[in-house]
Amino acid sequence: MPIRLHSTRPSQRWDYVHAVPWRVLSHRFSFVFFAALAFGLLVLGRVQPMVVEGARTHILDGLTPVLDAIARPMSIAENVTTTVKSYLALRGENEKLRADNAQLKQWQTAVMSLQHENRELHNLLHFKIEPGFAYITARVIADTGGPFVRSLVITAGKLDGVREGMAAMTGDGLIGRVIEAGDWSSRILLITDLNSRIPVTITGSGDRAILAGDNSASPKLYYLPQDTVLPPGARVMTSGHGGVFPPNLPVGMVQDLGHNTYAVVPAADLGRITYVRLVDFNLKGGAFNPLSAKMQAETKKR
Amino acid sequence: MLDTIWQRLDHGARLALPFVTTLLCALLSTVTWPLPWFGAIAPPLGLVALYYWSLHRPDLFRPSMAFAIGLLNDVVNFLPLGLSALLFVAAHQLVLRQRRFFAGHSFFMMWIGFALIATLVMLCEWMALGLIRWQWVPFVPPLMQDILVIVIFPLPCWLLIGLQRVALTQE
Repeated sequence: MPIRLHSTRPSQRWDYVHAVPWRVLSHRFSFVFFAALAFGLLVLGRVQPMVVEGARTHILDGLTPVLDAIARPMSIAENVTTTVKSYLALRGENEKLRADNAQLKQWQTAVMSLQHENRELHNLLHFKIEPGFAYITARVIADTGGPFVRSLVITAGKLDGVREGMAAMTGDGLIGRVIEAGDWSSRILLITDLNSRIPVTITGSGDRAILAGDNSASPKLYYLPQDTVLPPGARVMTSGHGGVFPPNLPVGMVQDLGHNTYAVVPAADLGRITYVRLVDFNLKGGAFNPLSAKMQAETKKR
Repeated sequence: MLDTIWQRLDHGARLALPFVTTLLCALLSTVTWPLPWFGAIAPPLGLVALYYWSLHRPDLFRPSMAFAIGLLNDVVNFLPLGLSALLFVAAHQLVLRQRRFFAGHSFFMMWIGFALIATLVMLCEWMALGLIRWQWVPFVPPLMQDILVIVIFPLPCWLLIGLQRVALTQE
């Protein structure tokens, strides 16, 4: 192999001639070694996914403080922008809030009367009340996945009571579920991700469907009963089937795409999520809840 | 004696600069930006830094470092473990092979070189992910990300040039 000499000084030329083959060899070896290692990891991930997933969760846990430190200035910048914006729009917002407040007061009266009526009817029917939900709130530190995966990393993990499969929400509606729970960090797969499948029900008609993400902003509705016509704007809620999610969590509104295909516009603004609430719906059922026991057995098996 | 220790630390920190900046760039791409929907098309700044250091200081940016950054990218972005690692190591090797062509001419040539490498990495990642998961992966978001990173390339690149001039001129 011809070697080009850059230096004119004899001593340097001598070093260079001797150094090059070793350097080239070592470099080629390290390229082949690391390429093979990466390929080996890919194969191992297919053959033994649990080993790889366990390692991934631990590495992510270790990276969480670094990600948190990098995310903080962004979070502060966003807070400052929001504060400035809200100061600028103070007058208009005040008027809007006054109007909202008057309307909400009317709703409050109606809700109190309905709640009373509901309680009376429950007593009459000896209705078994569902266990209440408990929430875990966490901050989003990474909006990960790039163009291929829709996921978030949050600052709460197993030590805070997070379990895989928990539903994740914002104040407006469902955003996804926990797919990885480390000790102090977890990953949420958003409902818009290509691999997200959620059993839902359409309020009003009561039709059931599967909400499937396709990496776009609006996931699609599949497995609707044949020839179903849904009114655009109908509300979509979780159905609770499969026992993964609690029923009646708001998901979004139906959007008609034509040709009998429907999408759902998520109720939560998935583009800017800073805090999430994880829904622990089996908490009060505890060990006596057959669903909870089944889920734990499945988790152990996995 | 004290001087020697500080000098060694300073020297070590300077030598670690390519790896540390690439790591920071890779992590910076994944944190939540105060821009709606930016996460899906956030430019892979780690790839920019990897390209820059592989071109200008290959002695300080080894295949092991490309592997580590790729692995980290897989972990954080929930990609199959080893995919970005393999692509980053291959991209590093490709840049080294074509070093004279990309770095020897003008900034514009370097930009074109990056556009080729970034597009190649994106295409390979998209195809490999489709094959591994055996499903059609939408192509528009990665394409948008690729275009965005090519357009903004001069900005992180100039920052890296400045950093190299300040910290690595005497190394």
